[in-house]
Amino acid sequence: MSLFLASVGFGLITSAVLAIASVGFTLQFAVTDVLNLAFAAVMTAGAFVAYWVNQAGVSVWIGLAAAMAACSVLSVLLNLAVYAPFQRRGSSPITLVIVSLGMALIIEFGIQAVVGGVNVSYSMGQGRTFRAGGLVLTTVQIVIIAISVAVMAAVHVLLRYSRLGKAMRATAANRTLARNCGIRASRVITITWAITGGLCGLAGAVFAIDIGSFGPTSDDLFLILILAAVFLGGPGDAYGAMIGALVIGLGTEVSAAYIQPNYKYVIAFVALLAMLALRPTGLLGARARA
Amino acid sequence: MCESAGCAASAAGNEGHKTSRYGRLFRACSMAVAIALAAALAACSSSSSGSSGSSSSSSSSSSSSVASGSTLTVADVAPFSGVDAALGPTYLVSCDGAVQAINNAGGVLGHKLACTSADTRGDPADAVPAVGSLIANTKGLALVIGCTSDEAAAVVPVLNANKTVMFCMTGQSEFDNVKYDYFYRLVPPDLAESYAMVVIAQQLGYKRIALAFGNDIGSQTFVQPAVASIQKADLTLVANETLDLHATTFRTEAQKIVSAHPDAIMTEALGSADPTLFSEIKQLNGGKVIPIIGTSAAISPAFYQASASAIGAAAFSANFHADNLVTATSGPAYNAFSQALLAVKGKVNGAQTGNFTTYFTAPGAVHLYDGINLAALAMVAAHSTDTAKWKPWIATIGNGVPGAVTVSSFAQGVAELNAGKQIRYVGPGGPTSFDAYHDSPGIFQVDTYSPAGAVQVTGNITAAQLRAVSR
Repeated sequence: MSLFLASVGFGLITSAVLAIASVGFTLQFAVTDVLNLAFAAVMTAGAFVAYWVNQAGVSVWIGLAAAMAACSVLSVLLNLAVYAPFQRRGSSPITLVIVSLGMALIIEFGIQAVVGGVNVSYSMGQGRTFRAGGLVLTTVQIVIIAISVAVMAAVHVLLRYSRLGKAMRATAANRTLARNCGIRASRVITITWAITGGLCGLAGAVFAIDIGSFGPTSDDLFLILILAAVFLGGPGDAYGAMIGALVIGLGTEVSAAYIQPNYKYVIAFVALLAMLALRPTGLLGARARA
Repeated sequence: MCESAGCAASAAGNEGHKTSRYGRLFRACSMAVAIALAAALAACSSSSSGSSGSSSSSSSSSSSSVASGSTLTVADVAPFSGVDAALGPTYLVSCDGAVQAINNAGGVLGHKLACTSADTRGDPADAVPAVGSLIANTKGLALVIGCTSDEAAAVVPVLNANKTVMFCMTGQSEFDNVKYDYFYRLVPPDLAESYAMVVIAQQLGYKRIALAFGNDIGSQTFVQPAVASIQKADLTLVANETLDLHATTFRTEAQKIVSAHPDAIMTEALGSADPTLFSEIKQLNGGKVIPIIGTSAAISPAFYQASASAIGAAAFSANFHADNLVTATSGPAYNAFSQALLAVKGKVNGAQTGNFTTYFTAPGAVHLYDGINLAALAMVAAHSTDTAKWKPWIATIGNGVPGAVTVSSFAQGVAELNAGKQIRYVGPGGPTSFDAYHDSPGIFQVDTYSPAGAVQVTGNITAAQLRAVSR
């Protein structure tokens, strides 16, 4: 029972980090039509930006903001310089997936060229440890969960109550129709890259805070979890991604208590395969709902 | 939200105009970014070190004699990326240092030496094509160093078939009694390291042991010997966790270990795995670090830096021990070695991390330095760069013959050979004794880190102690 409660706690923190990344990923996909497999590599870049800020003697929480800003710019540039030209030429979605895979490797190797093969950690304490039964969470982990909840609420407000959010949803639903309705789709897309890039940077930094020690390849497997959460919830569906992140986060960590923990990611794969086979549109329905 | 069709059409027209205007700019930016990133990619993939004279040139491979005055290449075949990315640069420090010292002493029979590298990414699937490319494209390939347990099983047969002499860092037991003519090893089999870790646990009075090894080939090879040895030593194995080196967290593994209340954790999980595990154990154990016993692979600046930053330098250094092969810490061999390495300090890509003096006791740095010197002296002794002629001299010079003069550096060895004497090379890694399988296992010491990251020798492990816990 104690291990079960502990694993629920682990699942919550994994879900919190995963939710930020998954919502960013799925919004990006819904609005821009790019299944950006370089997302995790950009997350890593964000983690290192926060690290460099932290190494300069600044609080890692300030580093989060720097990571968001840097990844926001990087994502916009990535789109303008790489993805948009391919899209203008009418490249197929699978071509863009391959291009994004290539970009993932280029970014990852680029980071490794700069930082080397060494793993690093932020200079920060974990704060007090809170225990309830077997559930164990530190102050920092609680803050990460709070950040995640705040981000989810902000995304909800953005999508439901702002003009930009409505424009994003309209662009995701039907770009041509949105244009004909007066929505400047290209501007919406660029803003989406900026927003989702910011979420990507935030996810990378909180991921690095959470795992304690990270390197240029630390996010590799996390991309699989992001994909699993996104496809579980329904690709392109932000609310689905939130639910998917919760299911995958809890599923992997709780299962680890009962199977060999190094096989826990199999659970994510199984969930992904099952969802693709049984309900390709995901838990909450169709593609392009944003 | 919909506006007039005319307005929408106008907006569309504006967009088209903008697209056209910025198209060339975007293409230019794309090309610039692509070129910059390609350059970065090239920089971090297989690269020649620039600190040791001329780099190897591309052409057909050759394991026999090379043209007079041409460059002989020493290739560092090891992970430079992936979870074990710290290993390749460590070996490259050794290669650059040794090669520079050899070149400063006049080179080998009129040939200068140069180092190059092949990134295996720690994966046999990547290692085999990397080695294939190395063989096909490296002129004057004289020696390979590195070949860790991650890739040795895949690349050793390839290199052996190409008749390339190699000094490998693998401890895999499959090389204990399988003969590869061109394979040499100055490190012990992994099972001996497992026994050494158990002896350390005994020496420190630990009774309850948890194992936490990575799921890579190189780390898993320690597990079964450790389990058997723990049993034989009358210790209690309380947890045995396998760490997926690509996983992002190990909280469940950490929780299981903490719940088992071990006195110590024996571990090898390189990359971010061990530091993350240590951090999570500390967190789940009320801020207390459980004592750690590592393998010799943990004696590296990268491992120290990652672990110390994960749980704090003071906590890590106070709770960490590792087995390591006995290496010299003073004397002429050590002086020559440390000077050779210091000469390349700050010049080796990927090796600018942490306390540089850690390389003076890092097994990869010490023993591959010795391997390069042994190979170079063998060529001089054989008066040939033809592999078939100089290879037999490795064991002769390493093991020595009656009446041989002991030398501790390449320069000293060449001087004695030129004086017509037989030599025995004893480098910073101590005397070698190659067996029929070209293994020279060595003996162990116990290392710790100071809070500043300097390696300290705190004890020794005798052959009798090892035998007592051997299966």
